[in-house]
Amino acid sequence: MKPLVKSLALLAALAAGAQVFASDTKPKVALVMKSLANEFFQTMEEGAKAHQKQHAAEYDLIANGIKDETDTAAQIKIIQQMIAEKVDAIVLAPADSKALVPVVKQAVDKGVLVVNIDNKLDDGALKEKGLTVPFVGPDNRKGAKLVGDYLAKQLKAGDKVGILEGVSTTFNAQQRTAGFQDAMKTVGAVVVGVQSGQWEMEKGNTVASAMLREHPDLKALLCGNDNMALGAVAAVKTAGKTGQVKVVGYDNIDAVKPLLAEGKLLATADQYAAKQAVFGIEIAVKAVKAKTPQNKMPGAIETTVDLVTK
Amino acid sequence: MPLFHGESLGKTYITPVLSHVSLELNEGEVLALTGENGAGKSTLTKLIAGLVHPTEGRMHLHERPYAPASRHEAEKLGVRMVLQELGLIPTLTVAENLMLGRMPSRLGFIRRSEMNRRATEQMAVIGLEGIDPRTPVGKLGVGHQQMVEIARNLVGDCRLLILDEPTAMLTSREIDHLFTQILALKRAGVGIIYISHRLDELQQIADRVMVLRDGRHIDTKPMADVVQNDIVRLMVGHDVSEERKRPIHETGPVALEVRGLGRGKVVRDVSFTMHAGEILGLAGLVGAGRTELLRLIYGADAKDTGEIHLEGSETPARIASPMAAVRKGIGLVTEDRKSQGLLLPLAIRINATLANIKAVSRQGWLRPAVERGQVGKLNEALGVKSHSIDQPAAELSGGNQQKVVFARWLHRDCKVLLLDEPTRGVDIGARADIYDQLEKLADAGKAMLMVSSDLRELMQVCDRIAVMSAGRLVRIFKRGEWTQQALLEAAFSGYLATQAPAQ
Amino acid sequence: MEDVSTSTPSTSFAGSLRGTLGNYAALLAALVMMVALFSYLSQYFFSANTFLTIANDIPAIVATSVGMTFVLIIAGIDLSVGSVMALSAAVAGIAMLQWHWSLAMAVLLAMGVGTVTGFLNGAISVAWRLPSFIVTLGMLEVARGAAYIATDSRTQYIGDAISWLSNPVLFGLSPSFLIAILIVVAAQLVLTRSVFGRQMIGIGTNEEAMRLAGVDPRPVKILVFAIAGLLAGLAGIIQASRLEAADPNAGIGTELVVIASVVIGGTSLMGGRGSVINTFFGVLIISVLEAGLAQIGASEPTKRIITGCVIIVAVILDMYRERRRSRRA
Repeated sequence: MKPLVKSLALLAALAAGAQVFASDTKPKVALVMKSLANEFFQTMEEGAKAHQKQHAAEYDLIANGIKDETDTAAQIKIIQQMIAEKVDAIVLAPADSKALVPVVKQAVDKGVLVVNIDNKLDDGALKEKGLTVPFVGPDNRKGAKLVGDYLAKQLKAGDKVGILEGVSTTFNAQQRTAGFQDAMKTVGAVVVGVQSGQWEMEKGNTVASAMLREHPDLKALLCGNDNMALGAVAAVKTAGKTGQVKVVGYDNIDAVKPLLAEGKLLATADQYAAKQAVFGIEIAVKAVKAKTPQNKMPGAIETTVDLVTK
Repeated sequence: MPLFHGESLGKTYITPVLSHVSLELNEGEVLALTGENGAGKSTLTKLIAGLVHPTEGRMHLHERPYAPASRHEAEKLGVRMVLQELGLIPTLTVAENLMLGRMPSRLGFIRRSEMNRRATEQMAVIGLEGIDPRTPVGKLGVGHQQMVEIARNLVGDCRLLILDEPTAMLTSREIDHLFTQILALKRAGVGIIYISHRLDELQQIADRVMVLRDGRHIDTKPMADVVQNDIVRLMVGHDVSEERKRPIHETGPVALEVRGLGRGKVVRDVSFTMHAGEILGLAGLVGAGRTELLRLIYGADAKDTGEIHLEGSETPARIASPMAAVRKGIGLVTEDRKSQGLLLPLAIRINATLANIKAVSRQGWLRPAVERGQVGKLNEALGVKSHSIDQPAAELSGGNQQKVVFARWLHRDCKVLLLDEPTRGVDIGARADIYDQLEKLADAGKAMLMVSSDLRELMQVCDRIAVMSAGRLVRIFKRGEWTQQALLEAAFSGYLATQAPAQ
Repeated sequence: MEDVSTSTPSTSFAGSLRGTLGNYAALLAALVMMVALFSYLSQYFFSANTFLTIANDIPAIVATSVGMTFVLIIAGIDLSVGSVMALSAAVAGIAMLQWHWSLAMAVLLAMGVGTVTGFLNGAISVAWRLPSFIVTLGMLEVARGAAYIATDSRTQYIGDAISWLSNPVLFGLSPSFLIAILIVVAAQLVLTRSVFGRQMIGIGTNEEAMRLAGVDPRPVKILVFAIAGLLAGLAGIIQASRLEAADPNAGIGTELVVIASVVIGGTSLMGGRGSVINTFFGVLIISVLEAGLAQIGASEPTKRIITGCVIIVAVILDMYRERRRSRRA
């Protein structure tokens, strides 16, 4: 039976290009994320699993993550395993926007549909390989600007602010910094420094402390994620400047809720981690069912980002 | 035309350890170099072998200026030194060690059979054809390792050979082979500098003898013109009576009894009794199982059979580890004091109180003043030559290092002391101190089991001598019953019935 | 440096003071030079504010480094400290948030968790004679995983309840800084003045010789790892108190910072030689460097390159100092 299925699959693939042989069973979808140690992806995974339970009849889900944010090699390995596992579609949050492109190409060549979420694959690299991969996700730059604009209402021209960036090599970190800068430019505030807090609380704390010492008249710290914002809030407190220096973050994780309530954190952005994966999965499942080939899939589907101040 | 010529050589670290020493060595000559520990023998030869650089003086080899920057450079010029510390790599085989740096190879791959064949030839030269060249060096006993080390230095071009205490660990059979080889080298025109404390050996093979004391050249004489006592007088600056007669004295009650002790084929069914106040010698060839027997008694290795009884008790003592042995009043002076005895970089003070730290501490905290007092006394009693008790053990000469190990067990005040080659690499003056100490310990009622490859030494200090051969204890001689001949016959007896020892 | 192995204590007080200062002079000079350099490069670096921030920043690293110094002295290594910090902070955070424990109880719990992991590190490597490198590498993963499970991979915000340890109480210094200083002093005393310290140094120098001298190395080694674990546990809660939150990702890579500090302080990776006071200087050098570079706004790659160079240069200098000293002895 098995060899027969295999040869049929091969025939089908040969006949219909990248067409997938999957019509008579439930589609199998792989969700490949970054670090499951990161609350954001934890939430994403839970959202995806909850969605699958509700739609158990429609598709099967295999969720996977890597050990830390930057372990690109491990993520590539997972995708290769998923190809070997003969999944019908992969929903991917790439650890690196360029390094993952070749393995995405492998997947597409094997007839697996790929949907990109969270961190956008590099356009240039995709074009070079002749790939179209739909990106389902928020516009981080827009989201950061939303947070920045809210902060700007409490600033005036000439005020000094600092930015804590995530891992500088990632697209999201760059986009969020750009969004913060857009907002600061509008109000005329001076960005005195952009330093990396590596997405981490401790690093964020160290860098924020140094900025506060070097610029005693700093008015605000704009943080690329909430973990760094937690570190920054602690630094502000240590410096005895609670209330004088405003802090904003990004991601709306559970741990910042009390800080928002106490006013120690002014604002953050929620880009609905749980929903992002679900959107990606829904698009993938639809495409598999409709037998849409990879290159006929839509280019980008933007998801919502909301400002959170309480 | 001398082969080698050194002119007012000197070496100063903080204080001078060698000054204004001149020497000449002719082709085909054996120059004996002797002196007490710390006299500067090792430093002088290390200068020649390129291990240490002189701070004064000049050297010439074949009438050309000679200033080796390293041991490697000296070796390229044919100057080689067999060090007291073994320079072998224990995990490599005998053949690999012998051929290190000149392994026969084809296209970068070692020609193993060729290498082993050459190694076998090389070992045969010094009478060790019985050793399989594929044996890892670490599996050999120290005596055999010493022979491999010597064999290694005879590979390739050798014009000046320095031997530093080469016979310290060898049996007389092996020594004979070595001497035959030295004579062959002499005939080939190789100049040899031979360091030894064993004056009888020097008389056997040396052409001239050079005596150093406190880093200075005392005298150089043709060997034929001197008798042993002259040399000793030159070395220490005064007379030392070599022939000590230990008084026969009453021994006390049984301190330790061993019944049927065994481990594999190394130690087989050994039984004997030791009394308080007695020095029991343990003679035998290298590999006869002497060190192994001490380690069994000490709990450092696990025994397969047998019992150990302490102080006449009928219940066997449970000695499963050295910790248990020490708790029960047994101490061990190891054969290899550098790797097993001492904490080399640490102070004399720390080394001496290791086994009895309770005596210098209160509730887990050290009492430095008490420690200084106790170690100071021990050092004085043993005559340890050092700047202070804070000097690292590594900086002491071999004899003084051994005294520090002794100090540790005097400090512990144990009832039974196991001594493995306690005078190995120790000069005559320091040896006399150690013999004195052994007698004092015996007088104080301690039981001692002393392994030594030097039969004369055993005959000099022991009350009884037990002889091991091929893992068995073959006979125990009482004082007065033994002769060198009888002891040797006993040592070989275990091998005669079956086969000769690995040789 | 205060070298417990071979220093020659002078009898007079002045002499011993001179000896002590001489031991620390090189590291102190390096520290002063760095402070001078950053004061020149940055407008606000040379201020009480900067030094107080650094002082209140380092207690966690100091505590962990003291433990690591002990471990390196017995010729071991503990790679699990960063994960153990995160795990004990996580457990303490859960205890405070969900079980409503008091801070004191949570501190005890964190230290208990640390001690247990350290004990396991020691006991496993002793029982099966495994290199501590492997055992603690395993524990690094186990403790990190356990921290994720304990917190459900979510940062736990604890808030003011835990911040007491890091709030200034005395001349702007926090209780955790005072605790860290206490730990340094106590550990140095243990190392130089206690039987346990002497046994640690002996085991690191030559374990076989210690065994043959009748000293059982096993309990000493297990205790050393347990102490390292306890201090990592304490460090975890100090860290959590400073940030008012327990982050399961806290302390990733901390083991490397800690090892660097200890080695800069002249402790040998081969065992047998080390000093807690010098480790403290090592921590100061690393954290002044980190604070200074951040304050002059150096970019991330620059920071890494400079930090790396400082580590290597410091160790090379220490090697020369050690050689000169042993020649003098």
